[in-house]
Amino acid sequence: MAAVKETVRTVEGLGEGYAHGFVTDIEQEFAPVGLTADTVRYISAKKNEPEWMLEWRLAAFERWLAMDEPDWAKLNFPKIDYQAARYYAAPKTDGPKSLDEVDPELLAMYEKLGIPVREQAVLAGVEGAPKYAVDAVFDSVSVVTTFKAELAKEGVIFCPISEALRDHPELVRKYLGTVVPVTDNYFACLNSAVFSDGSFVYVPPGVRCPMELSTYFRINASETGQFERTLIVCDKGAYVSYLEGCTAPMRDVNQLHAAVVELVLMDDAEIKYSTVQNWYPGDKDGKGGIYNFVTKRADCRGDRSKVSWTQVETGSAITWKYPSCVLRGDGSSGEFYSIAITNNFQQADTGTKMIHLGANTKSRIISKGISAGHSSNTYRGLVSAHAKALGARNFTQCDSLLIGKDCAAHTVPYIEAKNAQSTFEHEATTTRLSDDQLFYVMQRGLSQEEAVQLLVNGFVKDVLQQLPMEFAVEAQKLVAVSLEGSVG
Amino acid sequence: MSLAAAIRSRDVSTLPSRRDEGWRWSELASVVRAAPPLAGAITVASGGGPFAELTADEEIVFANGQGDASPLVVEGERTVKLRFVTRADAAASLSAVSILVKAGGSLTLLESYEGEGEAYVADASLDIQLENGARMERIVVAEDAETAVSVSTAQVRLSANADYAQAVFATGAKRQRIETRVQHPGAGAALRMDGVYLVGGHRHADLTTAVTHAGVDGTTSQMIKGVAAGSGRGVFQGLIRVAHGADRTDARMRHDALLLSDKAEIDAKPELEIFADDVSCAHGNTVGALDDAAIFYARQRGLPLHEARVLLTEAFVGAVIERIEHPGAREVVAALAPRKLEALTC
Repeated sequence: MAAVKETVRTVEGLGEGYAHGFVTDIEQEFAPVGLTADTVRYISAKKNEPEWMLEWRLAAFERWLAMDEPDWAKLNFPKIDYQAARYYAAPKTDGPKSLDEVDPELLAMYEKLGIPVREQAVLAGVEGAPKYAVDAVFDSVSVVTTFKAELAKEGVIFCPISEALRDHPELVRKYLGTVVPVTDNYFACLNSAVFSDGSFVYVPPGVRCPMELSTYFRINASETGQFERTLIVCDKGAYVSYLEGCTAPMRDVNQLHAAVVELVLMDDAEIKYSTVQNWYPGDKDGKGGIYNFVTKRADCRGDRSKVSWTQVETGSAITWKYPSCVLRGDGSSGEFYSIAITNNFQQADTGTKMIHLGANTKSRIISKGISAGHSSNTYRGLVSAHAKALGARNFTQCDSLLIGKDCAAHTVPYIEAKNAQSTFEHEATTTRLSDDQLFYVMQRGLSQEEAVQLLVNGFVKDVLQQLPMEFAVEAQKLVAVSLEGSVG
Repeated sequence: MSLAAAIRSRDVSTLPSRRDEGWRWSELASVVRAAPPLAGAITVASGGGPFAELTADEEIVFANGQGDASPLVVEGERTVKLRFVTRADAAASLSAVSILVKAGGSLTLLESYEGEGEAYVADASLDIQLENGARMERIVVAEDAETAVSVSTAQVRLSANADYAQAVFATGAKRQRIETRVQHPGAGAALRMDGVYLVGGHRHADLTTAVTHAGVDGTTSQMIKGVAAGSGRGVFQGLIRVAHGADRTDARMRHDALLLSDKAEIDAKPELEIFADDVSCAHGNTVGALDDAAIFYARQRGLPLHEARVLLTEAFVGAVIERIEHPGAREVVAALAPRKLEALTC
């Protein structure tokens, strides 16, 4: 019990322990407060978008006005005033031509966050160290994208989506909104109307992307929301590993983040998508923090295509996020590995959907939820096999760990099987840290804190192992910071 | 609005639709489009039903909703047959009964739903209360007509050290739902909530359970097995909620289902809602076909394919039937299962 008490104490300090909570003082321009069709036009004009894109956005906005905010998740928060936020914020600049023209304040910020926006910063490491390209999105605009030229040699397109709309409109138009339709849900529809920046990736047939790609999202301005849009297309036989990270300053008011991520996979393509979500979670009294409403979906259109979602969720006051796989191609497979940690007054309702449409499709779900403080952590998942998904297989394991008397952990799985040749297995457990295990580890000489860390690391290791190395280190540290002294 | 209330008020517009979370797989709005009239009186001979062979201290019959509605109060050890008999076409039968098992009392309830006719709508509502240390075993056999809509809802309140066990055997209807909601005080009370559903043709069976553990030291054990053949659809929704402070709760839920046809469907939602940290809760869920290796093994021992399938399916649901404590009721259900399975697997 003492270890648990200590855990709770340490965890209580976490709100203050958020390392990315600083604000960068930089001159910015904003859209006027509120959301009207003019806001949508303003954003589209700022991005110099083609006419068809503006029409697409305006149509989405019209649909959004007629939709109701969903209320089925186990989340409690005051009604969001969508007219009180700004939908566009960007550093005041004419668009830097090179890194030397980027505001030094911004570069200093990325240095502080540990994000290598200078290619040499990555290259300066040990010879032979793996490279990774970064697209750095600051509020509503992409500030810099590294290694574009090197990637282009392989035919890989990696750029901000606003740039892709100008340089590769045919590709964007072909795929945008085909995985997550405009009217898919309330937040996706809002995003379709007001999305600002995000990344676009196209990997041509047969190409194995030579380095990890990553996008780093940073909310800086107050009273603004971030609405990024990411579109990744992996053509036949191609492979890409994509990493996503996010942070925001500590503020007393809640900020909105509503993103859409669309993945398209052709025959034999593979996408590995990893997220370390570290938005500001609010303080220990539940004040402030990001409201995170995200729609992520992969469409395995091709046969034998494979998608893998890995997420480490430690941030956000509210998390509403269900990365999904539509397994359309025969033999395609989807994976979902998740660690969701909630503390203080955080609330997370997260999980996945595995929709088996093609024959011999496979999916695997490993979800580890850890709740502490007064938080609430819900796993919500759907596994369905349609009539033609003969031979579909799913394995789901979701485990919840509770630390403290006032937190909650919920498991809400939906299983729908519509043919006699599919096999679904689901297991779920909810427990606290076992006193016996703690005792065993401590009598081997470990301190309480080390013992708890060891056990929690064991609890989440199935998921950590799935992360690319660069991220695994960061994620492990994050888990340690999030629940220092108690759960690793 | 409940089905009974909708029929009484003759307003079916509020019946649950697909948009109602608890009814998403068993909505009533599309199958009860107009409120049917109440069914006329019928005479039902005593001593019938699936438990006819068993002796009981008392038999309570609701015939087309007509019956002795005075509360059943149990002291000492009693075995009671409770029969909901509906013989009607396009008419409604609404029944309600309340049961109180006094402190230290013990009740074996042999409950049956016996329906004949076309497109009838039946609703039964049970209010069950167990006092301190009371025991109750409820065995339910539900056999409704294929075109019927039948909903049974039981509210169960347990007291400290009570012991409540139920086993439901459902064979489906156009819509058949057997719902049990239990208020579990913890406090040494034990709960077992088992069930079997066997659906074929165009039948639909829904076993829905919700248990709320409100206090410390409670146990719940649940085993549900389902088989869907033809164009049948089986639904299981189980919720175990552990309230804040209900420490040392031990709750286990299992649902396993077999799909015997590509047109059949199984939908399951085994849900845990935990607000206390010192608990041990788990659920497991599997859906799949009969194991090819097991069929091969049975066939190479000389069993024809059909018999092999019946044997394996029988063994599959047998695990639930074995947990029925009342020997007579166990035999009745054990004999009923192969007959139903025979029809499903051919």
